[in-house]
Amino acid sequence: MIIPQDQFVAARRRDWEELDRLISLPGKRDGAELSRVAALYRATCNDLVHAEAARYTPDMMGYLNSVAGRTHNVLYGPRPLHVSGFVRLLFVDFPVALRKNGRLFGLACALFLIPAAVGLFGSLASRAFSESVLPRAVIEGMEQAYSESLSRGRAESVDAGMAGFYVFNNVGIALRCFATGLVFGLGSIYFLVYNGLIIGTQAGTVMHAGYGANIWTFMCGHGGFELIAIFVAGGAGLQMGYALVATDGLTRFGSLRRHRRDIVAQVAGAAVMLVIAAGIEAFWSPSSVPPPIKWGVGVFNLLLIVGFFAFGGRGRAPLLTAAASARDGGG
Amino acid sequence: MGKPRLERPLDTTTEVETPEHVRFRYQVAGPGRRLYAYLIDVLIRVAIIVVFWIVAGIGGLVGDLPGLSMGVVLLVWFVVEWFYYVLWEVAWSGRTLGKRVFSLRVLSDTGHPLRVGQSLIRNLLRSVDFWPAWQPIPAVPFLQAPTYVVGGVTMGRDPRFRRLGDLAAGTMVVVEERVFVEQALVIHPPPTARELASLPQRLPLSGDEIEALELFLRRAHKLPPLRVHELAEMVAPTFGARVGIGSIRDPFRFLQVLFARARGVAAAPEHRPPSPPPQGPTPFGSAAWRPHHPTHPAGRP
Repeated sequence: MIIPQDQFVAARRRDWEELDRLISLPGKRDGAELSRVAALYRATCNDLVHAEAARYTPDMMGYLNSVAGRTHNVLYGPRPLHVSGFVRLLFVDFPVALRKNGRLFGLACALFLIPAAVGLFGSLASRAFSESVLPRAVIEGMEQAYSESLSRGRAESVDAGMAGFYVFNNVGIALRCFATGLVFGLGSIYFLVYNGLIIGTQAGTVMHAGYGANIWTFMCGHGGFELIAIFVAGGAGLQMGYALVATDGLTRFGSLRRHRRDIVAQVAGAAVMLVIAAGIEAFWSPSSVPPPIKWGVGVFNLLLIVGFFAFGGRGRAPLLTAAASARDGGG
Repeated sequence: MGKPRLERPLDTTTEVETPEHVRFRYQVAGPGRRLYAYLIDVLIRVAIIVVFWIVAGIGGLVGDLPGLSMGVVLLVWFVVEWFYYVLWEVAWSGRTLGKRVFSLRVLSDTGHPLRVGQSLIRNLLRSVDFWPAWQPIPAVPFLQAPTYVVGGVTMGRDPRFRRLGDLAAGTMVVVEERVFVEQALVIHPPPTARELASLPQRLPLSGDEIEALELFLRRAHKLPPLRVHELAEMVAPTFGARVGIGSIRDPFRFLQVLFARARGVAAAPEHRPPSPPPQGPTPFGSAAWRPHHPTHPAGRP
């Protein structure tokens, strides 16, 4: 039997208003309040079903839906952020996801390194090549910047300024390499090739001008972190594009969401690598430490990265990814 | 793609089923509202950068550290550019200041709360949604004025107004407002017994039709009388034919009576006023129950 709306409202209104009041309270609710909210929430959802069946008025439905929706967001708050979760994402999920995405990561490396090699050797061979790639003002600025060796170092305040610039610029490049992968991977390809060519040409131009030792000594410390982070971000972008093309029978975005966890791990990893790179680039690379030590540190960093990618998270991987995929099953 | 889409009602709500098998509807936020929220956030972002710029500028003059202060400004700019939304959405369960002002919240499109990874993806991919971006100063390539053409087109094609970042992350933006319930619609003057008797006991009207009638009657007092008459005149014959009434003198009155009959309103010889809203202190300041507007007598030409 259908109860007339006014009767129904009169009978139930008190509960709804109590619920509305409880969820409108600022701040956190204590245990008693929460259990009251939960009970009222269930009752209200019941009312909602009844109201729908009885075809009550639209504003009435809107009211009940709004109370139910807002209560839902109070009861099911976001999962709290834990440092341990982030550490696990970085040290376990990141290398595991990267290895899973190994082929596209390799492709991203190639897409960057081949144009970089073209730029490097092209600009070594002739200055005309450099001028066809880079504006003349940039070339002259670079030649001047690297004409002095760093045996005296730079002032520290300049270093901090440069750190800000490097973070801004390089992380921006890497994140763009990732994000534009949404265009079926094409954007990632474009930005990888483009930045590869530019960076290769820059190095080659400076070497052509005779300051090769300066630029390589400067770059060896942070270069590994910086470039590989760009490859990682590009690889994640390619994975995103690939998921949109090879959907395995899912919708395009459904397929993309299945890769979400891996993609997030790689992007977060790349971002942290870039922050490390910016720190090194700002404070270590321009310092007056003798070149042999810088070279040693550069090689050490590279080995560290390769080792981390190859072995990071191996022991704990199966358990954690299984748990993660089980937990992600719902969302 | 063409036809079956209309089986779902044309509406800006989306149904959510929770783990307890409870279903309810969210109102999905449209582009206009999201644009306003976005503009507020843009203003805040610009303000943050400007404040740091000024502070750094003063610091640079006093401490003679122009490089350091420039570095800090760029770092802040970077964080604001790429992570403003992520930080807010994660810390405030799917809301930014702008979204809060316009009662918006980002949710997972299953209705679950937003996850950190989802927020990261939807906001990193913002850099695709805002294409094509315009660079007002060519020398400063990172200063970009977004046009959001890509995001806008994507939103227009999606029934839940999701932009590319939302689609990739599996999120949606919903309106989270306190909605007000109006008093039951009261027909003025109340239908007489004769009027009601002229209609059959069981009306051949569907629930949707009754709902449409109610929405029209509720809106009538906001429309000019001639327009009300015109609209009623268009609809009344359809219903009239169904209940076997050929000529309708006053179409608006006919619809009123029809609605009263459908809702089972009793004839009003005793002239009982509509039940007033229950008195007594409401537990919170603003009453969620608004007094209704009586249908305007002027609605009858």
